[in-house]
Amino acid sequence: MKGLFKSKPRTPADVVRQTRELLIFLDLHSGSRGGDAKREEKMAELSKNIRELKSILYGNGESEPVTEACVQLTQEFFRENTLRLLIICLPKLNLETRKDATQVVANLQRQQVSSKIVASEYLEANKDLLDTLISGYENMDIALHYGSMLRECIRHQSIARYVLESDHMKKFFDYIQLPNFDIASDASATFKELLTRHKATVAEFLSKNYDWFFSEFNTRLLSSTNYITKRQAIKLLGDMLLDRSNSAVMMRYVSSKDNLMILMNLLRDSSKNIQIEAFHVFKLFAANKNKPTEVVNILVTNRSKLLRFFAGFKIDKEDEQFEADKEQVIKEISAL
Amino acid sequence: MAAAAGSVGGDDHHHHQQARYPLDAGSYRLLCKIGSGVSAVVYKAACVPLGSAVVAIKAIDLERSRANLDEVWREAKAMALLSHRNVLRAHCSFTVGSHLWVVMPFMAAGSLHSILSHGFPDGLPEQCIAVVLRDTLRALCYLHEQGRIHRDIKAGNILVDSDGSVKLADFGVSASIYETAPSTSSAFSGPINHAPPPSGAALSSSCFNDMAGTPYWMAPEVIHSHVGYGIKADIWSFGITALELAHGRPPLSHLPPSKSMLMRITSRVRLEVDASSSSSEGSSSAARKKKKFSKAFKDMVSSCLCQEPAKRPSAEKLLRHPFFKGCRSRDYDYLVRNVLDAVPTVEERCRDSTQLCGCARGARCVSPCRHASSGSNVVAAKNRRISGWNFNEESFELDPTDKPPEQQQQQPCFPFHHDNDDDMVEHEQEQRRRQDGNDGSSDVAVPHLVTILGSLEMQRDMVMQVLEGDGGGGGGGGETAGREEMLVGYVRELEKRVQELSTEVEEEMARNAHLQELLHERACENHTDSSHTSGSR
Repeated sequence: MKGLFKSKPRTPADVVRQTRELLIFLDLHSGSRGGDAKREEKMAELSKNIRELKSILYGNGESEPVTEACVQLTQEFFRENTLRLLIICLPKLNLETRKDATQVVANLQRQQVSSKIVASEYLEANKDLLDTLISGYENMDIALHYGSMLRECIRHQSIARYVLESDHMKKFFDYIQLPNFDIASDASATFKELLTRHKATVAEFLSKNYDWFFSEFNTRLLSSTNYITKRQAIKLLGDMLLDRSNSAVMMRYVSSKDNLMILMNLLRDSSKNIQIEAFHVFKLFAANKNKPTEVVNILVTNRSKLLRFFAGFKIDKEDEQFEADKEQVIKEISAL
Repeated sequence: MAAAAGSVGGDDHHHHQQARYPLDAGSYRLLCKIGSGVSAVVYKAACVPLGSAVVAIKAIDLERSRANLDEVWREAKAMALLSHRNVLRAHCSFTVGSHLWVVMPFMAAGSLHSILSHGFPDGLPEQCIAVVLRDTLRALCYLHEQGRIHRDIKAGNILVDSDGSVKLADFGVSASIYETAPSTSSAFSGPINHAPPPSGAALSSSCFNDMAGTPYWMAPEVIHSHVGYGIKADIWSFGITALELAHGRPPLSHLPPSKSMLMRITSRVRLEVDASSSSSEGSSSAARKKKKFSKAFKDMVSSCLCQEPAKRPSAEKLLRHPFFKGCRSRDYDYLVRNVLDAVPTVEERCRDSTQLCGCARGARCVSPCRHASSGSNVVAAKNRRISGWNFNEESFELDPTDKPPEQQQQQPCFPFHHDNDDDMVEHEQEQRRRQDGNDGSSDVAVPHLVTILGSLEMQRDMVMQVLEGDGGGGGGGGETAGREEMLVGYVRELEKRVQELSTEVEEEMARNAHLQELLHERACENHTDSSHTSGSR
């Protein structure tokens, strides 16, 4: 009997439209106290809709996602300002719905409509949304959700470039050191993604912003008193400098005596993990065929100390590459 | 799906209403140690600014922990974003020097494993099992609905508060099928049941094909991880946990963890001979035999332990099983009065356990402690070839099936092991072992290590074949590339494992040789001084 009166199933586009209407309602009636019951009801409906969007995009226990449905959903989603509404209203949603919304936004970044990534085009025209997402690191309640969305958005090269070139880059040096571990780590992950994902863009950013960037990096991250900050920063520095696309930046970095001194201090750090990561950067200074005099001088002055240090510098598990690198460094320093 | 959400009840704490826990060590006063692991210590502590509210603090040594920082972060993030009454959620986490402090609710009665080992070595009463398992299932429902796989369900990860309320803990190895590796363009879709693993060598640790979990509780398809696995692996572990609560220990736990796993993979196992032929363990086996479990309980467990993952019920379906229908709220009182009140406090337990078992794993210690299975408890054992596991509803244990395995491997040769189904040889070995006075585990370990090595090598070859096949076919596009990447990652993992195992074999062999030498020496001693021998035995 029930089947007879079942309403026509909603299309993915219907679900998007309804979600949008509910978000508009929520956005308008945010402060009002009066219609609480009505608001609760709309809220529950919204949660259901967002969950449905998620199950269309990801599939559920019984079924795989259907490409056609995903395309429909994506088209309708970006036809109007649904993404903006969703991001703005996120703090008003409950935890489970926030998580669903985050997963929906993440998935949409990869959806293609007639072999074009619609999300990328939308974000390019709405770059202020990235400002909103980044400022999420200042609000503990939404930081992890906005952070996840942000990392998905910077998969698009043009969007990553926007963030790299914005003033936000400077803020990351604060976010990384927030006391809350989850949030600081999330910011670190985003920072790393920005500085490693799109090779050419990163190389260009680093050459253009070399002075302020590495000055901040050295003084605030590598010289931080926070163990995690230091450990993540030295690892990231190694990743950046050892990337072939950044070779020009690397040459510049290893030609500075100030940088060398920072690295030599990190070699003496009480943490083995930090020492090892520092070694992977230090070896670049030693291996540089055109060492500036100031670098040579420092290495010569500290030669005996360095050689003594490397003689006892071992890592727990056997690593041929590490041993070979160490041999090479010892050879270089002895020959100076 | 909406119905599922409703019935499971992901009860949302509005976390803006929750007290903010301070993010500095100075605000907490450590009261006492209540557990310790390889790279973490758990304390009972008071949060001074919040009226000295009692909390548990897990202090993870980031310098010593094997996991890289990304993994630690993923665990912390998972814990921060879960909100369910039966799931342990961290209040906050922050760093103190090279340690990460995770501030969590204090669960006064500790883990079910710890309760078992400090007062219920032969298992809990069935009505208690029902209530704690029901709450665990609620947690599992919630996690699975979120697309999250726990991957380490066991009594040691089920925490109980003084009022009998239960929380599932430890998301160290959990994985989310929605999480994608940031630096890859992996194929991105798939139903929850067989989600494609996120690919990418850099983040291979987040792959589903990774080894995760604790051996006894692991489902066969997790061990045979090339098959890939989903939420149904949790259901298997849930079934094993039920047996653990019923018997006081998980099946096969008389073997050290690595061996139990090796055996499950290589399908070779040493079985406890029935109570009749074992005199030393007769009493406890008899006690176990006497225990009666309801039909509903047996049926519930047997459905979880179905070989075929697809045939295992979902957590949601399992919750509707008759076994849980009988749960009443007064069962919590029963649990408190008859179980929680009967065991020492977690503080006392921690003090005792360091003296008792000395196993450095403390809070996360895998049951049973080694001392329980060594020494006087050495049971007569028999080597039998099996191909898999069947749950025996009658005896309420896991039984091996002895059909020959499909992919029979060649038996490698070992210097010290007579691999033979001949019982005589076994007895001889057993006797020699007893005479040795050592537990003889190395004698057994070497052949198993060699076997597993062979198995791993075979698996690697299989994967390589698949890879080559894929390459030949070509034209699969991005998805093939992702899959290939995943397989390559897997091959690398395997190679690493093979290497680790080879070193282990070498070490074991060296140890064996050493033991032989000792034995020889002692034999000589015995010869010259017989009174000494009789005294030592």
